[in-house]
Amino acid sequence: MASAASKLRTRQLSLFSLFSCARSAVAASAVAVLWSSGAWAERVRLPILAPTSGILALEGASQRDGALLALQHAPKGVRVERLVLDTGSSPQRAVQAFEKAVRGALPVAISAPIFGPEMLAIMPLAKERKVPLVTISGTAKLTELGNPYVFRFFPGDAVVKTAQARYTVEELKRKKIALVYQTTAYGQSGRTHLRANFKKLGATVVMEEGLSPRVKDMTPVLVKLKRSGADVLVLQLHSGPTALIVKQAAGLRLGLPIVAGSAMHQPSTAALLQPSSLKGVCAESGSSPVSGGSDAMRAFATAFQKRFGRAPDAFAAAQYDGVTMVLKAVAGGARTAADVRKALASGRHDGLAMSYKSDGKGNMAHDAVIVCYDGKTRVPAIVKRYRNVDGAL
Amino acid sequence: MELGQLLLNALVLGASYALVALGFVLVLNATAAVNFAHGELVMAGGMLAVALATVLPLGDVVPGLLVLPLVLVVMAGAGLLFSLVAYFPLRRGPPVSVFISTIAVGIMLQHAVKAAMGPAERAAPPLLAGPQLDLAGLIVSRQALATLAVAALLIGGTALLLRRTQFGRRLRASAQDPEMARAVGVPVRAMIASSFALGTALAGAAGLLFANSYFVSPESGGNLMIKAYIAVVIGGWGSVPGALAGALLIALFEVGVAAWLSSPVAEAALYGALLLTLVLRPQGLFGEPVGRRV
Repeated sequence: MASAASKLRTRQLSLFSLFSCARSAVAASAVAVLWSSGAWAERVRLPILAPTSGILALEGASQRDGALLALQHAPKGVRVERLVLDTGSSPQRAVQAFEKAVRGALPVAISAPIFGPEMLAIMPLAKERKVPLVTISGTAKLTELGNPYVFRFFPGDAVVKTAQARYTVEELKRKKIALVYQTTAYGQSGRTHLRANFKKLGATVVMEEGLSPRVKDMTPVLVKLKRSGADVLVLQLHSGPTALIVKQAAGLRLGLPIVAGSAMHQPSTAALLQPSSLKGVCAESGSSPVSGGSDAMRAFATAFQKRFGRAPDAFAAAQYDGVTMVLKAVAGGARTAADVRKALASGRHDGLAMSYKSDGKGNMAHDAVIVCYDGKTRVPAIVKRYRNVDGAL
Repeated sequence: MELGQLLLNALVLGASYALVALGFVLVLNATAAVNFAHGELVMAGGMLAVALATVLPLGDVVPGLLVLPLVLVVMAGAGLLFSLVAYFPLRRGPPVSVFISTIAVGIMLQHAVKAAMGPAERAAPPLLAGPQLDLAGLIVSRQALATLAVAALLIGGTALLLRRTQFGRRLRASAQDPEMARAVGVPVRAMIASSFALGTALAGAAGLLFANSYFVSPESGGNLMIKAYIAVVIGGWGSVPGALAGALLIALFEVGVAAWLSSPVAEAALYGALLLTLVLRPQGLFGEPVGRRV
């Protein structure tokens, strides 16, 4: 009996050994295949830093959610450790969030805040730690400081303000400009580019006014505008003030076309207004997911709506594209922050909104669109595309 | 005509600010403490109006006038709750405790609203929908007229309540001298709670008006709180007519001075006026001299 049991145990052990060897061989082969294909299942770190509270909470939420959806749609085999940090629309908090994000193993990249002042605060730290920042902030200065770790996936003011000015002058044939801008860094940067572009295009700024985001009543600006003889109103305002001035301009029967900044294309801005108030209103943007344009963009808009319960805007699409380019680099074999930086600096990515390639300064996005509302719905149509715009001042 | 349009718009903005300031000063008088969450309560009233307009089974377009009574009632309840959480447990402690607790509750409220409704700005339904009116060259929206009417009604009603009713007399007695009021049988604690309820209900109404005309977001409260504070300092610390006058003055700066010069200059001029008031007439335009100011 003992002998039979011993034989059985020996046979079982042999079978187990055989099974173990086979399993190891299969695992080793799988690892080899995965490694060679680049789809390595080790978790990489790609923290998301976004201002989801404070003055830029709305845009920050779009940025965050675009990045989260990109992580959800990561290439097969790429696993990402999820870390989302609120930067509070404050440079100090952005620095704290950055320090937390780089604690431990160095991330392959950081999905960095949309808010320009926050970016300016963390850029030196990113350079020091040698970690790429994937941002959609439009502040022109970010890519003018010679920091090789900044990659901007939303067209900067050099691109979108050129498109905004060209559409106003070349398509609408308006040359007497009323320019209303926000007194924040965002507004000042856009104003500089718009003024330079209008001058280049032979148009005159006949009236301009800087507004604090706290201003509630726009009548004073609109009264001055009427007095100035302007034939178009050009805006560089955040979301709420854009909606306020559009609403009050319609209320006072301004009767002039309005060419707004990218805040106007956001579905949440249009949602504040009656469709009739939007007649004659156009806006620049990097893209307009709600306007469709391609099957991939429509699929993105549907997936975004399903996951977050609201329509995506161009900021979400751009951050999705930026993070997707990083993830594709990882899937393609990039293992470290240095590898990813190299891939971003030298590679090309055909994203949802456009084709991205660095201009050597970290500007990845070079196209802009103009969207216009017909006064019947809150969904704008893309009326003009500007490709490979070089609007450097 | 331009001047008329500017004055009308300043009046409408001032009426909304006046409701904010009135609610603020009622609580200030009852407790002798600044409610730093008042701006967030105004914001909450606006967001409540937005939420009610979407859930009420009254069709696609719910007039704000139907939402207003509900906002007043719910916000009055919120005011009572607020007093139980942020005021009564700390009222015998150092005055700074109440300031801190109202700041804390305000921040919590802001985050709660953001979590529930998102960070985007929202628009509440208009009090009255319909096309604009052309009155002697002035373009007047029905919302503007309704805002003026509702503000006048609520401010007038509050004045009557305070001056002509036994309840109002008890409220004022509790605010002016709580010890004496208690000695003659006035339920001071209930009166303070009522002041919170009334002040917060007015904040809610202001929120509804703001949320239609100027939109509302979870971040709106801080700015409104500053406006209420300025109105009360300029008008007279604790003075109800002073708070109303201060609110109208703010609107005149924001519309009139902005039209004459520019918005940044108007904002600077408003703060300049505030500093001048503090230096030249610390008791404010309508206030009596006081020895201590928060």
